[in-house]
Amino acid sequence: MRILLMGSPNVGKSAIFSRLTGTHVVASNYPGTTVEFTRGHLKMGEETAELIDVPGAYTLEPTNRAEEVAVEMVDEGDVIVNVVDATNLERNLYLTLQLLQTGKPMVVALNMWDEALEHGINIDAEDLEKHLGVPVIPTCAISGEGVKSLTDRLEEADQGDLKVVSEDIWQRIGEIIEDVQHIEYRHPTFRQVLSHATVHPLIGPFIAMLVLFLSFFFVIHTGEWLIGNVMEPAFELAWEPVTVWISAALGGEGFIHGVLIGDLIEGEIDMENSFGLLTTGLFIPIAVILPFIFCFYFILSLLEDIGYLPRLGVLIDTLMHRMGLHGLSIVPMMLGLGCNVPGAMAGRILETRKERFIALTLVSICVPCMAQIAMVAGLLGDAGITGLAVVFMTLLILWVALGVSMKYFLKGETPEILVDIPPYRLPYWKSLVKKVYMRMKGFVREALPYVLLGVFLVQLLYTLGIIALLDRAFTPVVQTLFGLPGTAVGPLIVGFLRKDVAVGMLAPLGLNTRQLIVASVILVIYFPCAATFVVLFKELGIRDLLKASGVMIVVVTVVGTGLNALLRIAGL
Amino acid sequence: MCKNLAELGKGESGEVIGFDSGHMASRRFQSMGIRPGKIISRVSSQLMGGPVTVSVDGRQTAMGRGMAAKVKVKVLNQ
Ligand SMILES: Nc1nc2c(ncn2[C@@H]2O[C@H](COP(=O)(O)OP(=O)(O)O)[C@@H](O)[C@H]2O)c(=O)[nH]1
Repeated sequence: MRILLMGSPNVGKSAIFSRLTGTHVVASNYPGTTVEFTRGHLKMGEETAELIDVPGAYTLEPTNRAEEVAVEMVDEGDVIVNVVDATNLERNLYLTLQLLQTGKPMVVALNMWDEALEHGINIDAEDLEKHLGVPVIPTCAISGEGVKSLTDRLEEADQGDLKVVSEDIWQRIGEIIEDVQHIEYRHPTFRQVLSHATVHPLIGPFIAMLVLFLSFFFVIHTGEWLIGNVMEPAFELAWEPVTVWISAALGGEGFIHGVLIGDLIEGEIDMENSFGLLTTGLFIPIAVILPFIFCFYFILSLLEDIGYLPRLGVLIDTLMHRMGLHGLSIVPMMLGLGCNVPGAMAGRILETRKERFIALTLVSICVPCMAQIAMVAGLLGDAGITGLAVVFMTLLILWVALGVSMKYFLKGETPEILVDIPPYRLPYWKSLVKKVYMRMKGFVREALPYVLLGVFLVQLLYTLGIIALLDRAFTPVVQTLFGLPGTAVGPLIVGFLRKDVAVGMLAPLGLNTRQLIVASVILVIYFPCAATFVVLFKELGIRDLLKASGVMIVVVTVVGTGLNALLRIAGL
Repeated sequence: MCKNLAELGKGESGEVIGFDSGHMASRRFQSMGIRPGKIISRVSSQLMGGPVTVSVDGRQTAMGRGMAAKVKVKVLNQ
């Protein structure tokens, strides 16, 4: 049996899903789309049923890809669990009544029951049940109240007897609400006051900057702590002995040793500097990048579950419109800061092709992922904070400038923002953990294999002398335009496939601050990695991918040249 | 007095009387809880023509100015 969990965004659907399912959940893409949904299993007495968390939708008349998928999935389910936000019943009933017209057996979970009581919203669940003709169960996903009776009453799922044509739905809802809901006035709570402050045109941006600053502070410090105290010791203990053994078995040299283990440094394996597939190739992405990605997605998912992201979208909307996007496009951008792959995949929340193209191009060109940030920090570490500041300011200015020019050159509409601002809510830890886990898996599954493939390819290209060939071809460009020595060409090419090696190769060249800054910016701008390339292809199709690549080549050339000239004028 | 939502002053409230928009857009408004007969008030608006935040039934929704201009309201006297 297949049970569909359906509801509008922010009703607590994921929280209910986490309550109902065990630990084993999988995310998959809906066939032919990049819209992701999760499924798990639910015990119903003897039987186990499949539970599917359908993407949130306000209506069965879709306005974006995720909603289209939601509509298509209705046909594939046997039973629907409609999750409804009790603090927002009237609006939510629209979807409920539409679902009742599909003739699928259904139950309604009246979630956020605790919050409704707190706000003085009294709903007569039994009465509502009579109106709808299907079981209605008050729940609080956070404490788990009502979830047991929800599962118990699943077998009572019914098609209901409420039939109504779409023109009359709102009128019908009005009658139902009149009958079942009574609201007592309560004074605004602290959360409501805070809610106003965070979208206030003057105070809001300050709060936003504070939130973002604290988030990055947390990511950097917790990330470093995890690397030093968890990942490095774990690698030393569990993995290093294995590599030592392999190295010895291969006789400590030769082609295969070079690919797998890399160079021995003073006769020993150095996880950070040997540059083999099994040494640095595994160590950097897993022990260094992964902890940062983890911390980053933890904070981002927390902000999302609390309900802060739509507010950030509202604050930044004006700027984003200058770039042909609307405020909510900040979500793919932020996700891209962790890993460009989930960032590019999140572009599906955008409605038009123009928006998706602009957003994805910006994510892949201007938004540095954690691996790139680590790389830039590694390169510029010695040059100090000024170097880093110049790199990130350049990227920020480029982000805006490139967005503005793409808006100007591309045809098509940018719809205005229209977004529900949910009240601030406490996150439910279990769905938070699940969300972070899913996003990490995105990196491990979609990006890591390409990273490892890259390691292998680089080694191959070197051995075949192809790098040396490219080296010669690009040297004039790099020397005259970017002001970098010819020896930097190799590392820059390698950087497409292996960030870690690029840093290791650039470091000994003795570049000055100006050259380091230019090299860092170039490494970030040109396409982040093979994995992102693949996702862009899936999301945009071959034509738009080629267009985006064209944009990228122009941007690298212009920015590399311009930055080099500017920095020279500035006397670096 | 009739205004559109974009013209509504801060803290002012009104009753929604209809939409100046196509079928699709009106449907989206309705699904966000903005429909004829509802009392709507303006919570805040971003600078430089940015989105306005309105409140209906104690619930906040943000929308671009252009969209807000499509919602017709009858201003209520305090
Ligand atoms: N107070 C309260 N908060 C809840 C309840 N269910 C979910 N939440 C919180 O509401 C927020 C949105 O829930 P989520 O499951 O992400 O919503 P979704 O968008 O429908 O999947 C999260 O912070 C949850 O922790 C509930 O029954 N009561």
